[in-house]
Amino acid sequence: MSPCYLRFWGVRGSYPAPFATHMRAGGNTSCIEVRCGEHVLICDAGTGIIPLGAALVEQDAIRELAILVTHYHWDHISGLPFFAPAFTASWTLRFFGPGKNEAELAEALAEQMRAPYFPVETETWLADVQYLRPANGAVVHGPIRVTPFNVHHPGTTFGYRIEVAGRTVVYVSDNELLFLDEPINQRLVERDLDAGEHELLLRMKEEEKWASLQPFLDADILIHDAQYTREDYARKRGWGHSCYIDTVNCAIDAGVRQLYLYHLDPSYPDVQIDALHRDALEIVRRRGSDLRCDIAREGLVIPL
Amino acid sequence: MVVVVDDSAAAISQYEASVRSLAVDLQSFRSADAAYAYLRDNHPDLIFLDIVMPEKDGLTLLKELRALPAHRETPVIVVTSKDYAQDRNVARELGAREFLLKPLRSREIRALIEQYTGAEVHPLPDGAGR
Repeated sequence: MSPCYLRFWGVRGSYPAPFATHMRAGGNTSCIEVRCGEHVLICDAGTGIIPLGAALVEQDAIRELAILVTHYHWDHISGLPFFAPAFTASWTLRFFGPGKNEAELAEALAEQMRAPYFPVETETWLADVQYLRPANGAVVHGPIRVTPFNVHHPGTTFGYRIEVAGRTVVYVSDNELLFLDEPINQRLVERDLDAGEHELLLRMKEEEKWASLQPFLDADILIHDAQYTREDYARKRGWGHSCYIDTVNCAIDAGVRQLYLYHLDPSYPDVQIDALHRDALEIVRRRGSDLRCDIAREGLVIPL
Repeated sequence: MVVVVDDSAAAISQYEASVRSLAVDLQSFRSADAAYAYLRDNHPDLIFLDIVMPEKDGLTLLKELRALPAHRETPVIVVTSKDYAQDRNVARELGAREFLLKPLRSREIRALIEQYTGAEVHPLPDGAGR
């Protein structure tokens, strides 16, 4: 295995999907591992972090981990109470995530492990728990440099632009793309709109689109929320997730080289994920793009 | 004085166009940090605040402002594309007076300024206001 790689440990959104019909994509919730030599960086601590933790303890090669959480919804932290390195002495865990300060981050992680929700509190962790502080807007873990940015999802939620081994990996687990299109379109047909305001609204629409693409620009790898079909998105607009069609189009617009459709809806079995993938590839073909587009599948390892 | 915090240049242009013929001093900032640096020493009558900005988000800025004694009561109107209950609740807990969805119309911006600054807005000759 390459000394630098990315591995998907959990690819589902919302809740785990441990069903026989879902196993080709996988059933665990959000978690990826970015490894570069002796440095391991983990994005999100959904249930996928449980088998990752077990593997790390078994390997017993690297005992310092950086764990970046995009936000604190359950599907992004629910693996932590079962993360073996946290309960193992002589390990060091360095956390980072949204919050005004370290205390807020620590509190957000600890809350789910208090009674009556869980019998073992974070105070029982044996690992040395530390908190990463960004310097000049970036978090650095050995040769891995991470720039957080805000995305469109309930509460403060981060995406991460990760520079590693000369490549750029952008991780955006939860994000609703093109969120302003619909409300601006509604305004544009109001009868008393004058030409000046009409022009400003069009500018606003275009500007918001490009602002949301900015963190993805020229990424080698984009891992992005693609939770819904067009039909489901129409019912769930405003839930903070994207339709895979918007995700593919935005990846093409941003000049991304490789897209992984991620945060898959737990109600979609493999046959539906396959159909969604075929359609995504058709969009790429129709647009004449050379974007490579795949489904993020649990266990998939990508050399960096 | 009215402060606008929004990373969108088009949105700021709209605020500026909305008050162009009114006697209102408008200060605009495209990042939360720049706004915070200004607001530490300045006390506007009203703040229009976006949430999603590239670095620090608007609700984090609002939390920081509320920690400053001078800004505990400053009227803040959140204007955002984030139509999520979680964000509405946080904004309400932080004392935001309104939580409005983008995009606003110019007439709505003018009406809010009149309502919240407490002062009658006097039209000026073309080009005299900002």
